[in-house]
Amino acid sequence: MVALLGVIIFMLIGRMFFLQVVKGTYYNRISEENRIRLLTLPASRGVVTDRNGKIIATNRPSYTVSLIPYEVLEAFAKNRSQKSTVKSEDLTSLVGKLALYLKLDAHFLEKKIRSNLTKSYRPIKLKKDVDFNTICVIEEQNEDLPGVIYQVEPARKYLSADWVGHVLGYVNELTREELSQGSSKKGFRLGGVVGRKGIEKQYDDILRGKDGVTFLEVTARGKILGPLEERKPDLPVSGSDVRLTIDIDLQAVAESALTDFESAAMVALDPRNGEMLALVSKPGLNANLFAGAMSPGEWNEILENPLHPLLTRPIQATYPPASTLKLLIAAIALETKIADRNTTLSPCRGSFQFGRKTFGCWRPEGHGRLNLEEAIIQSCDVYFYQLGLKVGLERWSDYAQLCGFGQRTGVDLPEEEKGLVPTLKYYHKRYGKGEWVKNLVINLAIGQGEILITPLQLAVFFGGLATDGKLYKPHLLKEINNPDGRIITTQPEEIGSLPFSSFTLKVLQDAMIGVVNDPHGTGVLAQIPDIVVAGKTGTAQNPQGEDHAWFVGYAPAEDPQIVVAVLIENIGHGGTFASPVARKIIEEYIRKEFAQSQKDSTLQISSY
Amino acid sequence: MIKFGSKEFDLTLIIVALILSAVGILLIYSAKYHSDNPVERAIYIKQIIWVLVGLSACAFTFSIPLRFYEIFSYVLYFLSLLTLVLILMIGSSKMGAFRWISIGGFNIQPSEFAKIATIFPLARYLAYSKRSIYSFRWLASVIGIALLPALLILNQPDLGTSLVFFAILISMLFWSGVPLFYLFLIISPFISLVCGFHWLSWALFFLILIMLLYRLRPTFIFSVGFLLLNLAFGTITLLVWNKLHHYQQQRIIVFLDPGRDPQGAGYQIIQSKIAIGSGGLVGKGYLEGSQTKLAFLPHQHTDFVFSVLGEEFGLLGGIILLGLFTFLIIKGILIAQKVRNTFAGNVAIGLSAVIGFQMMINIGMTLGVMPVTGLPLPFVSYGGSSMLLSWVILGILLAINSRWYEY
Repeated sequence: MVALLGVIIFMLIGRMFFLQVVKGTYYNRISEENRIRLLTLPASRGVVTDRNGKIIATNRPSYTVSLIPYEVLEAFAKNRSQKSTVKSEDLTSLVGKLALYLKLDAHFLEKKIRSNLTKSYRPIKLKKDVDFNTICVIEEQNEDLPGVIYQVEPARKYLSADWVGHVLGYVNELTREELSQGSSKKGFRLGGVVGRKGIEKQYDDILRGKDGVTFLEVTARGKILGPLEERKPDLPVSGSDVRLTIDIDLQAVAESALTDFESAAMVALDPRNGEMLALVSKPGLNANLFAGAMSPGEWNEILENPLHPLLTRPIQATYPPASTLKLLIAAIALETKIADRNTTLSPCRGSFQFGRKTFGCWRPEGHGRLNLEEAIIQSCDVYFYQLGLKVGLERWSDYAQLCGFGQRTGVDLPEEEKGLVPTLKYYHKRYGKGEWVKNLVINLAIGQGEILITPLQLAVFFGGLATDGKLYKPHLLKEINNPDGRIITTQPEEIGSLPFSSFTLKVLQDAMIGVVNDPHGTGVLAQIPDIVVAGKTGTAQNPQGEDHAWFVGYAPAEDPQIVVAVLIENIGHGGTFASPVARKIIEEYIRKEFAQSQKDSTLQISSY
Repeated sequence: MIKFGSKEFDLTLIIVALILSAVGILLIYSAKYHSDNPVERAIYIKQIIWVLVGLSACAFTFSIPLRFYEIFSYVLYFLSLLTLVLILMIGSSKMGAFRWISIGGFNIQPSEFAKIATIFPLARYLAYSKRSIYSFRWLASVIGIALLPALLILNQPDLGTSLVFFAILISMLFWSGVPLFYLFLIISPFISLVCGFHWLSWALFFLILIMLLYRLRPTFIFSVGFLLLNLAFGTITLLVWNKLHHYQQQRIIVFLDPGRDPQGAGYQIIQSKIAIGSGGLVGKGYLEGSQTKLAFLPHQHTDFVFSVLGEEFGLLGGIILLGLFTFLIIKGILIAQKVRNTFAGNVAIGLSAVIGFQMMINIGMTLGVMPVTGLPLPFVSYGGSSMLLSWVILGILLAINSRWYEY
């Protein structure tokens, strides 16, 4: 035991001898003359591409122009061939040139430089994110600009389209408060960026990578002598690249189809696996605005815009689903054998009398006697008022919840809203315990009243109706490509199944084909030659102004590959405004898929 | 030897401990001498108060009969476990780690006292258990006693302090006559854990293990059990490790060796090495250390206090300090040899192991050869809990020394 102690003591003394005697002069020099400075080597953030590998977000060099005060003072002194005093003319001429090149206010600049003009090598940052042409000018003029340097850092560059801000979000610098609140544990640093919205926020951990660091030996004045010999730099590890399920060509078509509307939401997904193909929220958000240096004015403009551009409508805005939800009440009636395909109710005369209240049909002249299928095709309100009363409030709200309404879909975007499915309990809480509240189902049956859903929830629901009732978790992440070459692919995740039999689904599917293809259908404007489109229109009453227009549809009806939900705010009838938008998107996608499969099959043939 | 009544009293131990404490106060004074903050400049006064508190604690523990520790060893042990569980639930956070309990403005670190409270039941078990050391029950109890507080403290998280429990366990087992190869077996799963990352070194290690077991021929079940344990530690950690994300791996590496984190402890190690290295043979002189002056080391009055000594008093000062510690530890071992009561001997070894292990890890850390674990230098580092513990250890050692003839 004493021997062990002896060995330990001997080793410690040996180590001290090595540090203090063998390397003593080296350490003494460092401690006397020099300081150690830590230089961060920023990791480059992962690249984001669409499903076909087209780049949506990447990195660009960003130039920061700085001034090294010590060198400025030295240059001035040389000019005057005398030391210490700084002549105002020298400084003013330098500031004048810099203000011109950097497009900065001369007074502001002079104040900033003057207050930092000490005999130091530590750079004063003058302007961030200076464009490349200016850097070239500064480079050419460097004889006349003593001490002016520029540094390169990676900054985010986004595909310049309005939807990118909503889907990808943006990054910006961490604040001091956030850093002190313990986020330093996760490898954040001051000046580092963090994802603030959308994919950038959701997958920040994956995209960010890990900053490297190097130790520099600098003089007390800040002049860099070189890397510290005893510690190798930690090289940065790039973030993983991310491939999204989005198709930017489809996205562009959707964007242009909605270009005439001020505020709207659109979501397109593949009902067979939940992959989101396109997502539009109007007004759009230019992500590049956030990536560069944004002025407070620009930020306030976004914040104070009454149309709320920061709101990602397809997942964060909730609307009454209107007639699109008539399919729910029809499905319940079919499933519980209250009605079948051919059931007729009292004929529609343009309105429905219940107690002392009158409920109007959207077609004041009435639809006459219709069966269930015809009622869906023509979207007769009076038929569904009656069907709603037969189904009842409790059954309706139970089924609505089973279909995923009132719950988040779990999409991989931050801050998804869950909407609201009113239940008997909810009404009792709100209006008191009266039996009469059950009659509120009349309004719910046509998707009005307290029910609120997001466009994405509706798209997922229609995805289930269009196929065999399976609901897949909607997602934007298709693949993660790690820098080490590992690829992680997202597997489709089943989040539930509609509580309807295949027989019920078949009736609804036939009716939805009718909505678009029957001459009496409300969605005829969504027709595409050679492709059978199916869907349902909706017109949500809006007490503040014009109605919101809905259309949710899918195609091809016999083998659905895409579901599209379109909502346009404050515009009018769904069949008039939303259907044509959905048509353009569906047509583009199906034609492209068709062309792709044609190409694939010719390739196969030619290889024989 | 001075006699207090009928008791022998070893003055040299007290003198050495007082010198160490005085050195500590001087170094803390120097570390904060150039600070702008008058409160910080005055912290050496707090340290003086802690030394006085420590002295009275020393006198108090000296007066307690050894029988008390023996009889109440398990009670003390469970009380300390209870406080450890308690801070897991209500502990206040200091630098992101839960280690402290605040009572009326005083921060108490229960893990410091758990060190002593674990020595007693271990000493008692090792002294009186009649079981064979090759029996599972014996092994499980011995390891269990040390492992329980160690795991609770590891959870705080405080890797350094939980390692102290292993130092205590291994040195007390060795003292009790457990053969070296058996100690090797006890730590073998942890070696497997590390070797598992490289299949060749792991295979070699396994070969050595099998040969050892074959030569020494413990019971068949015992051998197979240890081999399986090693196999499990080696493979499972490797499997789990490969499943982790890169950044998760980084987090674990930095937890095990904070010196790898260049922004934090890595920077401190470099600065500490510069401070000590620039001290040369005899140092820059008291209050003259430039690294110390510029406050490059955030913990130079606590965990990195040795770097102040190295810079201002050089190799010579370092050797003298190591000499003082060596004296303390050898004295502890001599006491353990002299004493007739096996329990008390075991306790003396455990206590000396705490001082020795902490000294080794702490000084090794400032010299850049040991991981940064946050273990204070006994008697020297700033801090009440550590100072109190050091003097309590001394008090118990003195008590054992003065009653060496007792059975």
